[in-house]
Amino acid sequence: MTSAADLAWLIPVFPLLGAIATGLGLISFNRTINRLRKPVAVLLLTSLGAAAVLSYAVLAEQLAGGEPVEHLFVWASAGSFILPMGYVIDPLGAVMLALVTTIALLVMIYSHGYMAHDKGYVRFFTYLALFSSSMLGLIISPNLLEIYVFWELVGMCSYLLVGFWYDRDGAAHAAQKAFVVNRVGDFGLLLGILGLFWATGSFDFNGIANGLSDAIASGTVPGWAAVTLCLLVFMGPMAKSAQFPLHVWLPDAMEGPTPISALIHAATMVAAGVFLVARLEPLYSQFPLVGLVIAVIGTITCFLGASIALTQMDLKKGLAYSTVSQLGYMMLAMGCGAPVAGMFHLVTHAFFKAMLFLGSGSVIHSMEDVVGHEPILAQDMRLMGGLRQKMPITAITFLIGCIAISGIPPLAGFWSKDEILGQAFTTFPLLWVVGFLTAGMTAFYMFRLYFLTFEGPFRGNDKALQTKLLAAAGKGSEDEHPHQAGVLHESPWSMTLPLAILAVPSMLIGLLGTPWNSRFAGLLNPEEALEMAATFSWSEFLPLAGASVAISTAGISLAVLAYALHRLDLEELLANRFPAINTFLANKWYLDDINEKIFVRGSRKLAREVLEVDAKVVDGVVNLTGLLTLGSGEGLKYFETGRAQFYALIVFGGVIALVVLFGVLGSPVS
Amino acid sequence: MLEFAISAPLETGAELLSDEVSANFPWLSLSILFPIVGAFLVPFIPDEGEGKQVRWFALGIALVTFLITVAAYLYGYDPSLSGLQLSERVSWLPDLGLTWAVGADGISMPLILLTSFITALAVLAAWPVTFKPKLFFFLILAMDGGQIAVFAVQDMLLFFLAWELELLPVYLLLAIWGGKKRQYAATKFIIYTAGSSLFILLVALAMGFFGGGTPNFEYTNLAQQSFGTGFQLLCYAGLLIAFGVKLPIVPLHTWLPDAHGEATAPVHMLLAGILLKMGGYALMRFNAQLLPEAHAQFAPLLIVLGVVNIIYAALTSFAQRNLKRKIAYSSISHMGFVLIGIGSFSALGTSGAMLQMISHGLIGASLFFLVGATYDRTHTLQLDEMGGVGQKMRIMFALWTVCALASLALPGMSGFVSELMVFVGFATDEAYTLTFRIVIAGLAAIGVILTPIYLLSMLREIFFGKENDQLVSHTNLVDAEPREVYIISCLLVPIIGIGLYPRLVTDSYTASIQALVKRDELAMQRIKKPSALMIRNTTMTPAVISSPRLPISQTRSEQLTRK
Repeated sequence: MTSAADLAWLIPVFPLLGAIATGLGLISFNRTINRLRKPVAVLLLTSLGAAAVLSYAVLAEQLAGGEPVEHLFVWASAGSFILPMGYVIDPLGAVMLALVTTIALLVMIYSHGYMAHDKGYVRFFTYLALFSSSMLGLIISPNLLEIYVFWELVGMCSYLLVGFWYDRDGAAHAAQKAFVVNRVGDFGLLLGILGLFWATGSFDFNGIANGLSDAIASGTVPGWAAVTLCLLVFMGPMAKSAQFPLHVWLPDAMEGPTPISALIHAATMVAAGVFLVARLEPLYSQFPLVGLVIAVIGTITCFLGASIALTQMDLKKGLAYSTVSQLGYMMLAMGCGAPVAGMFHLVTHAFFKAMLFLGSGSVIHSMEDVVGHEPILAQDMRLMGGLRQKMPITAITFLIGCIAISGIPPLAGFWSKDEILGQAFTTFPLLWVVGFLTAGMTAFYMFRLYFLTFEGPFRGNDKALQTKLLAAAGKGSEDEHPHQAGVLHESPWSMTLPLAILAVPSMLIGLLGTPWNSRFAGLLNPEEALEMAATFSWSEFLPLAGASVAISTAGISLAVLAYALHRLDLEELLANRFPAINTFLANKWYLDDINEKIFVRGSRKLAREVLEVDAKVVDGVVNLTGLLTLGSGEGLKYFETGRAQFYALIVFGGVIALVVLFGVLGSPVS
Repeated sequence: MLEFAISAPLETGAELLSDEVSANFPWLSLSILFPIVGAFLVPFIPDEGEGKQVRWFALGIALVTFLITVAAYLYGYDPSLSGLQLSERVSWLPDLGLTWAVGADGISMPLILLTSFITALAVLAAWPVTFKPKLFFFLILAMDGGQIAVFAVQDMLLFFLAWELELLPVYLLLAIWGGKKRQYAATKFIIYTAGSSLFILLVALAMGFFGGGTPNFEYTNLAQQSFGTGFQLLCYAGLLIAFGVKLPIVPLHTWLPDAHGEATAPVHMLLAGILLKMGGYALMRFNAQLLPEAHAQFAPLLIVLGVVNIIYAALTSFAQRNLKRKIAYSSISHMGFVLIGIGSFSALGTSGAMLQMISHGLIGASLFFLVGATYDRTHTLQLDEMGGVGQKMRIMFALWTVCALASLALPGMSGFVSELMVFVGFATDEAYTLTFRIVIAGLAAIGVILTPIYLLSMLREIFFGKENDQLVSHTNLVDAEPREVYIISCLLVPIIGIGLYPRLVTDSYTASIQALVKRDELAMQRIKKPSALMIRNTTMTPAVISSPRLPISQTRSEQLTRK
């Protein structure tokens, strides 16, 4: 009997076939296919649904204790070089498969409502299916090279989707930035893969890990080189998972449609970096220094994201920085040598952050009817407020998400974040302090988002404020097309249903990972789960858990005081007193400016100079040669007098000159 | 003096020369002569001057030529053999030593197929040509035969003739149908290439007359000659200049942006798709195969030049504001990988170079075709005058995006596989010192960052953003027509096919490449004095990739025992 795992290769193939069918249709019969919205949506939903069903079967099999399955075939070979490709199913992969297909399916249902009025509805669905396929392929990749292949493909899908509304300049820039920054990471990843292949002769995860430890033991590869290679490989996850300093693309990527922000830039693709680090755990666990670097970068990212999120006024950007911060937590866990904790946070975060983003999409969708389709207005929280009365489902699910991410038990975020902090406390106490403080900031900025959006009076009809915001963004109000001021409304069922469904795991899934009986760890790493359960003691757990709940509560209370009850005026209290900090945060630590000044302008200038050299010097020499030939020809024509004596004289002179020359230099034939 | 010119015969050389397999049917002669005869029939086609009949005729001839080459591959070619196949030999001018010798091995067969394929598509791309259509299609068809001849002939003098003959059609195609600066570009092209090909003639004569007696220019004969190292080095340097112009290698590249910048789309496809490959092919055929010892000395230089190509051309491409010239520079950048692959002394790397030529032939042709198609609509090539075009031309936008992604080596397409093969082949190759490999791989990988920067910013400037009012009001931006979609799809099918399963193509030439690399490696071991550049290890151990820790430790231990 074939098990589900043997059919797992179909999981990415289903959505791929759907995407190819509609993609070819779009190219060949653009108009017709664009009109067939329903059939296309049904086709792609079915294909993704089939993938989801298969993924659940695979996960169930793994839960029941199924063996990991690996199938390979020879993809390329030259000389003695053989490169296998194929797929592998293990508990880690099975969990990710189920996660990605679930969220992709829900996001696709949601998009049916969100993109209903968009001209590019069919194209959007095609891209979504294409992305799902590449992401699923990435998960089941058995070796680093295949991961790299799909890594690039998800990057391409991200490029296409961020630039989906290609008539917007912002989207065009953001798409390009996302791709290029990711390529910087891939540069390191590629070199790292090459280096590891040189050192170990292998591309697959265990082969690399074992090969490298053997190579170090036998002294063929020096330790520093091994560490360098590991860090080079880590550059890939740094870019993909938006770790400092390569996180700059993620907030900009919010120019894409909101379902994309939920699926790609919160739940799945950005988690691919964390996933890759988890896959490479046998390699990284050999080098404590690499672990330290990963943990430090994770902590910096975690703090940076949260601090910038404090001042964001754009709802989606706020959530984006929150994602950056949470990804930092996951990396911190990886650095602490606790991949299970990191993966657990990845899973819980995927659910509640996808829900939060979809909620924000629901808000924006509704706001667009009031303030128009300009994202600067529709996403700005200064124009929101009081939305809870009009859109209760969105508000409630958003609130659940806020509680979950803040780490209030028993919701999902508490268990996973607390496990990471617990690991950090034992491994790197200093980093724990930062992570701990960040937890408080997280609770504060999330509730700030909630209160500004859903509570208080509605401010969306304030024309003066709208003009001011537009002016601040550098957009004149002259192109302000008059739109009928619609009313706020709850979104259609296709959008609220996914929200409601996602709310369930956001609340409950954390219970699978309680430290005294972690089913999640039991699946990924049974020994670790037993060890965790054995060493678990309430006296250790309670103080730490209590502390993190306390700081979260403090953050929430501060947000309540400031934004719900208006007892505290933070602007007067902090922003005006410490303007430097405020501007520093509002300018996102000036990282974008530094980036722009050094890299963007620097590379442009360098390129222009090289072109100058090419045109003036290299080509100049060529043209000069041409000129010289012309000139010498012009000059020589005066010697063609037609008098034989004159020619004879020249020949005679030449011979004399040659004789003299060789007389001085010596005979040529020695 | 003697040692300079003659070296001891290759003891191991004989076994490396596999037996020739004669053709059961003159496939190659037919594929060379058929389009040329077809070309001479073009003037007799009844036509009202619009070119309607002529283009169908030309398309038919080009398609039949393509089918002939495919048939040659299917019925007369065995990919598992490394030696010459389909070979035909007719003594032509015995006094001169000139023989009509054609044949194909793994190095030439894929390129012959590529030539007939791209030419057929170029004829289809030339549908809108209405100015002097008879002459135009005559030249295109003549070029088809000439280019197949370049890859198929097995005689160096004949090679020189084919190489020169192929220049004339290009010159005329540039000078008559080109853009505004066509005279300048065409003259520059002809002077550059004709001037540099003098070196081919010189080297051919020197090699053919080597050893006295009746001159013989056949490759098989030349490969058996025992040229001295000095002689090889001289020949190598001359050929490197000649082929370096064609490939092109920076700083011999400046004809290319001008020529490509002025050519019309179909000519453009041929220039990028096939002409550049002639340089790479000739480097493999002559420099690496016939002059192995000089190759061992020169290879590090090839690699350094390859990296310069990649980075230098990528930067110039980024700064270019003219669309055609931008793509032209990107071609130069991609050719850098061919150089690295040829110089890598590994079967994988050289295989990658070969694949990169095929892959760029397809991708370059598709991009240049798109440039032409876009120009037909926008009537400008300046990026500053475009913008927001994507809203009117959606299919065109999609095609551009796919081709640009292919060009920036996105996995799943052929460019990725070839670049990866070059990278892996070079990085695991024990012929070079570790430091050199790290530096070169690191620099070449910078190209991985630069390529998307210029290609994606190009896409952004053409298609993204608000519509350019000036452009929209003055031009008629109609979307891609079926013929254009069809041409691009024809190119994309092999691009994606190779990307998904590279062995489709690599299997057809691996045997020959392995034999070639083997020969070079043996030659390298014969060199008493290692390269003056101190780049190579003193001991040369074959790169055993399946257990690569072994060779490193061997090298180390050998070094230790020497000390």
